[in-house]
Amino acid sequence: MSDPVEYDVRTLPSNDNANPYAFSVELAGQWFLQKGKMIAYYGQISFDGIGHGPLDGLIASSFHSPLHAADWVVANGHGKLLLADRAYDINSYDLEDGNLTVRSGNLLAFEPSLSLKQSIIPGFVTLIGTGKFVAASNGQVHFVEPPIRVDPQALVGWADCPSPCHHYDHQYLRGFLGGVRHLTGIGGASGEEHQFEFTGAGTVLVQSTEKMLDEQSVGGTPQQQGVPGGPPQP
Amino acid sequence: MAHFRVEGSKVLAVDLAGDAVRAKNGSMVAYEGQMSFKKLTGGGNGLRGIVTRRLTGEQMAVMEVTGRGTCYFADGARDISLVRLGGDKLHVEASNLLATEGGLRTGTTFTGLRGTSQGNGLFTTTVEGQGLAAVMSDGPALALRVDAQNPLQVDPGAYIAHTGKLTQKLQSGVTFRTVIGEGSGEAFQIRFEGEGLVYVQPSERNTIGGEL
Repeated sequence: MSDPVEYDVRTLPSNDNANPYAFSVELAGQWFLQKGKMIAYYGQISFDGIGHGPLDGLIASSFHSPLHAADWVVANGHGKLLLADRAYDINSYDLEDGNLTVRSGNLLAFEPSLSLKQSIIPGFVTLIGTGKFVAASNGQVHFVEPPIRVDPQALVGWADCPSPCHHYDHQYLRGFLGGVRHLTGIGGASGEEHQFEFTGAGTVLVQSTEKMLDEQSVGGTPQQQGVPGGPPQP
Repeated sequence: MAHFRVEGSKVLAVDLAGDAVRAKNGSMVAYEGQMSFKKLTGGGNGLRGIVTRRLTGEQMAVMEVTGRGTCYFADGARDISLVRLGGDKLHVEASNLLATEGGLRTGTTFTGLRGTSQGNGLFTTTVEGQGLAAVMSDGPALALRVDAQNPLQVDPGAYIAHTGKLTQKLQSGVTFRTVIGEGSGEAFQIRFEGEGLVYVQPSERNTIGGEL
């Protein structure tokens, strides 16, 4: 017999997971949410797009990414709010005067005591400050310490500053056979020639599949000088 | 008497001793013993069912399974929840209904305007009587209790079913900002008032409402 777990407004957890796939926020004030991740709520809550006039002060202090503004809303009011995303695993994280960078599509919600900034790594956002945020992953999240190399699709995010960089494995290109492979494509590739490498102090978050959450169509490099991919200097 | 149990969380096992259950057409994955499968036209509601389901667009392909032994049902690795009905009525989207005990009656009912934002039409399937119904969800379902003091708002894409004396209405947050592209992404909610249970899934179907 598999009865679904029953909750009412009092038994829903406060800022904790209701099950591994749904997170319950006890809202008293404001939270930032990514659009479309709310599945149900009790109480009086309004949802306002970023850019809504009365929220200007809040956004000025906590939201520093015009690129992502169209994908985020502010939930304002009192009640219990359930968040979920395509039945992926949901985890909440507490930051204490810290920083964490996460793939923009994986971040579901955060407290306004944190401040969101766009990472210089395209497709990622950085949260700075003290507070709680909620992120999704396909499968459970594993925390690993640098130095480590991570498959790009399995990377969820990283905390502190483990200097992320690309690593290309050219071992398979060496020697005569490698040269033939490289030139003809015969023999194929393992698909693991490219990794993200992390060194230094910090923590790296890895999900247990290589299926990425759909990325938001944002996070490309700004087309300006001094940024890779931008126009050349005159 | 058919006996329902969920194996793991994604397979429904039904023990049959000569009686019948109704299940979504094609959802059998295995069986032990002797079984026969018969497609029921019009969701198993007879001629009236054929006509109403055709008219309302709440299509439901149902088969009747009779036999002795154990029959296993599953669909798209979706999670299964059992809902026990004691004479009350379960409202469920046809696409989320996996199986019902033979004694339960199914029908269609008008749900009001909320269907417009849901892409599931204006009608929903009802299940009435005494017995168990198996409901599917994308991820394990949560049952949320609604009482007079605590109405509940649900995203149309996450709604799967409800029981009890509930009234529902579509709540819209569409403002001029939605039109100029600054919508909140949560433009439509179904508001449930009264006494009852609402089942939601930790996932959202694609809805028109989800885009606004």
